[in-house]
Amino acid sequence: MSQGFDKIAKTQARAHLIVLEQTDWFTRIVTLSPKLLVLILILPVLGGLIGVVLPAFGWVPALDKTTLNLQGFIELWQTPGLTRMAALSVATGLISTLLAFVLALMILAAFFNSVWLQRIEHLLSPILVIPHAAAAIAVGFLIAPSGMFARLISPWLSGWALAPNGILPHDPYGISIILGLTLKELPFLLLMALGALAQPELGKKLRQQYKVALNLGYHPITAFFKAVLPLLYPFLRLPILAVLAYASASVEMPLILGPNTPPTLAVSIMNWFNDVDLTLRIKASAGALLQLALTAGLVAFWLGGEKAIKACGSASLINGKRRYADAAWQKITGVLTVFVIGFMLLSLVGLALWSIAGYWRFPAMLPEQFVWLHFDSAFAQMGTPLFNTLTIGLVSTAFAIVLALLCLEAEQLRARYLSNLTSLIIYLPLLVPSIAFLFGLVWIQQWLNYQSAFFNVAFAHVLFVLPYVFLSLASSYRRLDPRFAHVAASLGAAPIKVFFQIKLPQLFAPILIAIALGLAISFGQYLPTLLAGGGRIATITTEAVTLANGASRRTSAVYAIIQMALPLIGFILAWILPKYFFRSGAR
Amino acid sequence: MPSTLQIKDLQLFRQNERLLSMDEHIAGGDILTVMGPSGSGKSSLLNWLTGSLSKDFTATGTVWLNDQDVTHLPAHMRGIGVLYQDALLFSHLSVAGNIAFAMPKDNKNGGKKQRLEKIAHALAQVGLAGMGDRHPDNLSGGQQARVALLRTLLGAPKAILLDEPFSKLDTQLRKDTRQLVFEQIQTYKLPAIMVTHDESDAEAAGGKIIHLDR
Repeated sequence: MSQGFDKIAKTQARAHLIVLEQTDWFTRIVTLSPKLLVLILILPVLGGLIGVVLPAFGWVPALDKTTLNLQGFIELWQTPGLTRMAALSVATGLISTLLAFVLALMILAAFFNSVWLQRIEHLLSPILVIPHAAAAIAVGFLIAPSGMFARLISPWLSGWALAPNGILPHDPYGISIILGLTLKELPFLLLMALGALAQPELGKKLRQQYKVALNLGYHPITAFFKAVLPLLYPFLRLPILAVLAYASASVEMPLILGPNTPPTLAVSIMNWFNDVDLTLRIKASAGALLQLALTAGLVAFWLGGEKAIKACGSASLINGKRRYADAAWQKITGVLTVFVIGFMLLSLVGLALWSIAGYWRFPAMLPEQFVWLHFDSAFAQMGTPLFNTLTIGLVSTAFAIVLALLCLEAEQLRARYLSNLTSLIIYLPLLVPSIAFLFGLVWIQQWLNYQSAFFNVAFAHVLFVLPYVFLSLASSYRRLDPRFAHVAASLGAAPIKVFFQIKLPQLFAPILIAIALGLAISFGQYLPTLLAGGGRIATITTEAVTLANGASRRTSAVYAIIQMALPLIGFILAWILPKYFFRSGAR
Repeated sequence: MPSTLQIKDLQLFRQNERLLSMDEHIAGGDILTVMGPSGSGKSSLLNWLTGSLSKDFTATGTVWLNDQDVTHLPAHMRGIGVLYQDALLFSHLSVAGNIAFAMPKDNKNGGKKQRLEKIAHALAQVGLAGMGDRHPDNLSGGQQARVALLRTLLGAPKAILLDEPFSKLDTQLRKDTRQLVFEQIQTYKLPAIMVTHDESDAEAAGGKIIHLDR
């Protein structure tokens, strides 16, 4: 059949023909998986959006409303404090992203050349897997009037013998939200940048250009901004936009740290959706569209800002100025880094202390009694949430890992990278505010009549786990030497054998890390669990958020610690297991 | 007055093994050639001179530039230019931008207009007239090498180091570029150290040759 066949390798036709010739079901599955990936990511998000657009314009058959009208928007417009809510969302989103971005850049610039960069990386990596809810709880404890910070400076500095009337957290300006968001997003952006630098060719090129700039007399921080950043920034753009989108539309942080009258727009939308009065759903859907518009506006603003800075800055790139008070900025960055790390450590310490605290009067630094009571009572009630958390995590992560691996294998089969469009689609669930499409997704799930709340929740989790798992696996998978596969094929091994016996063992450690990451993401999900499960599925995170806004501080501290411990265990396993299984020679 | 570069009692160690020792004085316009097989410490010598010696190496000795001890100055304050094997042109700037990046910002250089004129003039001198607006990645290897040379020279260094700068060029290009580089070194009267493993480079440099044999 291949007689007159042109021997030019790697043409699309040939690959296609090979696929057809081989009735290898494995290869068929692999070839289909990128399409499956795209479908799984696009359909729910777009479907969810449609499921919100229709009710927004008044089409809710369940309530016998089937005429399109603008009633929902009118009601939305008349909501008291709407501008305040929107302004709060926009301001907290933009300011926290800006702060996290600028701080990350300063740390990179100040420590580019030194060992401290790696040390800071190791210090901050664990913060990544702390769920937003747990981080919010920890920060809340830190800045509360009777929190760790106040205790540190009382009474010797502040003169407070009793806890003061503080405005943090829950302050009306959203400062607490900004604090929590910045502390959570700074490690993420920093680690994304370091990840880009860790890529062999890019990292080498950037370090060389940095060295050239230094040799030309540019002071270190100026050298970073003029010679490294212009090339590094494109790799940071999507993560930054994901951070911006999340920050402007998140629910956990404002719920735990934000004001209540009025809250941010996303929290209000959630309240309207959950209201007993079902007709409020129309207003909620309209609100979700408004949130979508706000987030899109912020993204457009940021992209426009990029262009503006590029236009203004291009002249100063080549003006030959070699220093901009570098020494001062170096010191300032050093101080700020210490502050940030100190903040994080202090809030974690505070959390730990609260979870085992008996009687703890202000302004004592340490509790007067240490008790296990809180942990005991929490464990007694934690059975079902813990079980749900673990099973949903394992199911969603397993599915995500399998799909990601198959897609990466497909990439290698076709010998070219997934297109830019596909990369953008992978980021889609992270860019579209979840409050905007999750309600629509739930509506669709109910329409499709899936009764299993568990399955619905697991599927919703997959949407958020998949991007991270894919990104995490992609760099390792792409670095596999393709010649191993070629050698194995020349020895007669079918692709499926190559996949399972050669590629996967080589990827054991990265796969474990991706699993740990996926689990961590799933453990920390709040809104998807709440909505897709219809409130019937309790996980550690949903319990933690509920407790943080109500009951005892001590119990929510225990739950926050469990929230952090679970992913940590996953990562410890991911670190230990490769030492015993599939050991590679390079140990 | 032309610059001088002096290496006093340099001893370079990797772990505890002594790689090389050197004590040299180089006058402005002279080229010291250092030759040796890989692993003999040639690149580490240059790293030490520019202040970027890696952690695996230790060194004793001092560097004097124009009778000033620069041994303990950080890399960006030494004023020693380096020409590498790869041109390493900044890909976010144009050809003219790369050169402008290197030019110092003293106000004697005049405003932007004078800087651009100076760059255009320099480009013309090396046969790259009118190429200021091109993107560095679109240039051939020889053209990139010439732009890299201009960038290093217009940065007004007090000394220049050459790290096998011609090894990626083919024979004829190599001769032409080599001649250009050496001429410029003479014109600017810079003390230079060249690391190479090519005999003809050493010959063309016409200066003292040191062999690092291990």
